[in-house]
Parts: sequence; structure tokens; C-alpha cells
Amino acid sequence: MGDLFREIWQMATYYNLLFLAQGAVTTIALSAFGCILGGLFGTLLAVARLTDGAMTWPLRMLALIFTEFFRRVPFLVTLFLCFFAFQFAGLDVSTLTVGCVTVVLIGTAFLAEIVRAGLQSVHPNQWHAATTMNFSLLQTIRYVILPQAWTVILPPAFGFFILFIKDSALASQIGVVELTYVGKTFSNKGFSAAASFGVILVIYFMLSYPLSRFGAKLEKKLAPSRTR
Amino acid sequence: MDYTFQFGQIWPRLPYLLGGAWLSLQIAFLAFCGGILIGTFCAAVKTFGGGITRRIVNVYVVFFINTPQLVQIYFLYFALPDYGIFLTSYMAVLLGMTLNAGAYLTEIQRAGFESRRQSEMEAAEVLGFTRLQQIRYVILPHVAKVLFPPLSNHYILMTLGTSMAAIFGVEELTGRALNVNAETFRSLEVFSIIAVVYVVVTLFASVVLALFGRFAFRAKMRIV
Repeated sequence: MGDLFREIWQMATYYNLLFLAQGAVTTIALSAFGCILGGLFGTLLAVARLTDGAMTWPLRMLALIFTEFFRRVPFLVTLFLCFFAFQFAGLDVSTLTVGCVTVVLIGTAFLAEIVRAGLQSVHPNQWHAATTMNFSLLQTIRYVILPQAWTVILPPAFGFFILFIKDSALASQIGVVELTYVGKTFSNKGFSAAASFGVILVIYFMLSYPLSRFGAKLEKKLAPSRTR
Repeated sequence: MDYTFQFGQIWPRLPYLLGGAWLSLQIAFLAFCGGILIGTFCAAVKTFGGGITRRIVNVYVVFFINTPQLVQIYFLYFALPDYGIFLTSYMAVLLGMTLNAGAYLTEIQRAGFESRRQSEMEAAEVLGFTRLQQIRYVILPHVAKVLFPPLSNHYILMTLGTSMAAIFGVEELTGRALNVNAETFRSLEVFSIIAVVYVVVTLFASVVLALFGRFAFRAKMRIV
């Protein structure tokens, strides 16, 4: 055990710490990017699935297929698909870009489901009332549904953000320099696997645990104001 | 953007890929069963146990939930040999997934255990039910109905999580796709095929679980 601590002490040079910090920032940025853009596109998909009318059925179908496909394909496989798709499209982009695109695709699919569940949690009477008042679908969502639904949407969306911090570890497989990649580099530099991956595990914990505590608090705070 | 898809070389290798899918399902199933055992035990400790055991279980759950599964398996696979514990890649993945699932399933099941109501138990006691009958006829149907949807949801997520095993050289669906990719260089074709296989496998599992849950526990479950 003493050896391990001595090794971790040796690991704590200025450039190693800088590298670690860089990795942590990339990890956070990757999942934040995926959740923000994914949230925007996901909301669009959720609204597309709520449209009714004969003209918009291709839109509904497309949204359904997109969400179901990307929710049922593993992160790693989506990552490789994007990676090779960019390669064959002849676009010379960094692996970070590939990681970002993957994360947005998956975030869109999952957040679309979360938003849709939130929109549907508002009582049907509210929808009918808005229709009676001659609100269009977008007006209904903007002025009637979202003000009531966001307290239902926010806690699981935040939970998904925390989940994403951990899932984005897989991005290291295509060479995105994030936290897990930093751990692999330390291991390659000659530090023992226990020290390098142990440090990475602890840093992930330090990122994820405060956020999950905050999420639990958020959920508790928003719960009483839920309108059914 | 002038790429032509050529599936010709992939079709003969489809049985090989599907064999990998079978291994994926096997890993997911074994890890889920192990996770259920750990989860039930830990949830029981968390709900009914005393101070110190509860704290130990809490540390386990909080640590495993807040760190990525990939790095956990990295740790098991690369760090444990330094301490004289040698795991094959299959065992490391299975162990990592089981421990990770155990933590998540503890949290899920604790919520289920807490959903039972004291008044129901008292009513059963008044009706002269023994302790075992209380569990069999009052608690279990109630808890099963609450727990079945999130548990089956987690099972689907775990089936997707098995793709991680490819990184450690286990030849399950993703691992075999990487092999076929190396042999044929038709990477987009291979990965789009296994993406569809994953969709089909998890959709099938969802349908079966939803039907089972509906008939066995009258749990309301959506498929799509």
C-alpha cells in the first residue's frame, strides 16, 4: 500500500497534473456538449413525435426510428460507426469532433425520450384546453405545457448528464484525449495500473459524486411543485 | 461522399457475428443474475441492516455508481495481476459488470423495498397470515409490480454495455465485428449490421419482458 502512495506522489508532477486537468475538462465538456445540443434536438424530436395529422406521419416515423435506433445501439458501436463514416466521407476531422458528434446523436435520442415523457406528464385536459383556445401545437407547448413540464424533465435530464460523464469514457477507444485516455497514457508511461487507473477512478468519483448529490437535491426541491 | 456499400463479403460471416451476439446475451444474463443476488442482499442490508454494515454497503454502492464501468474493468484486468490475482478477459468483464450491476440494482431494489406499506403488512397480520405467507402473498406481488419495469430496463442497458467487452478482447458481437473488419476492411458495413443486430436483440428482449411483466405482475410497460 505504501508503494502505491509513493508512486502516486511521483506521478504528481506539474505536467502530469496539467494533463489530468485537461482530460477532466474534456470529459466534462464532451458530456455537457452532448447534453446541451442533444437537449435541443431531443426537444425538436419529442415535439415532432407529438404532432398529429396525416401530413406529418413521415416526421413522426423518422423521429421514432431515430430515437429507438440510437437508444438500442451501444455507445461503442455508434462511436465506431461515426468514426468510419467520417473517414469514408473523406472529411479530415479530429477524433474529438467524432466523439462530439457521437455524443450529440446519443444524447438526442435519450433526451428526446425524457422530454417526451415530461410533456406527456402534463394532464390531457391542459392539452385539450389549449386546443380549445385555438393555440397551435407550438404555442401549446411554449405557453402551457413547458412551464409545467420542465420540473419533470430537469431531474432525469440532469441524471442523464451525470451518466454521460461516465459513458464518455468509451470515447478514449478512438483516441479522444479524455480522462480514461489519460489513465491509459500514465499506464503506458510505466506507472503501475493500480496507481494510474486508481487515480482516474477517484477523479471520476470526484466529478460525478457532487453532481449526483446536487441532482438528488434538485429532484427533491422540484418535486413538490409538480402539477398533475 | 461517393461510398458504395458492399455487403458481399459480410453475409458469409453473419453466422460468426450472430454467435458473438449469443455470447453478448450470455454475459449480460450472467452479470444480471449476479447483480440481482448482490443487489437483493445489499438492498436488504440497506433497508433493514444496522449502522456499520449499512455504511459498508453504502460505500460500495456510491463508489460503483459514480465511476465508469470501463475504468472499473480496466482496474480489475490490469491492476489486480500486480497483487497476484489473474483474471481472464472474460472473467474480468463479467466480474466488473456484475459488481457494477450489483450497485445499480441495489439502488433500484431499495426503492422497491421502501414502496411496501406498513398498513398492508398489518392487514395481512390481522387476517392471520404467517410471516412467509405475508411475503408470498402481500409483499412479493406488490414489490414485483413496482420493480419489474426498472429491472428489465436495466437488463436492456446491460445488454448494450456488453459491447465494452470487445475492448478487452472478448469475442462477443462487437469483438467479432472488429475481427471481421480487420479481415475484410468493410468497416461501415460490418458496424451497421451489428448495430441492427443490437437493435433487433434488445427489441426482442423488450417485447418478451414487457409481455411477461404484463401477464405475471400486471406491470404497465411500454415497448417503444
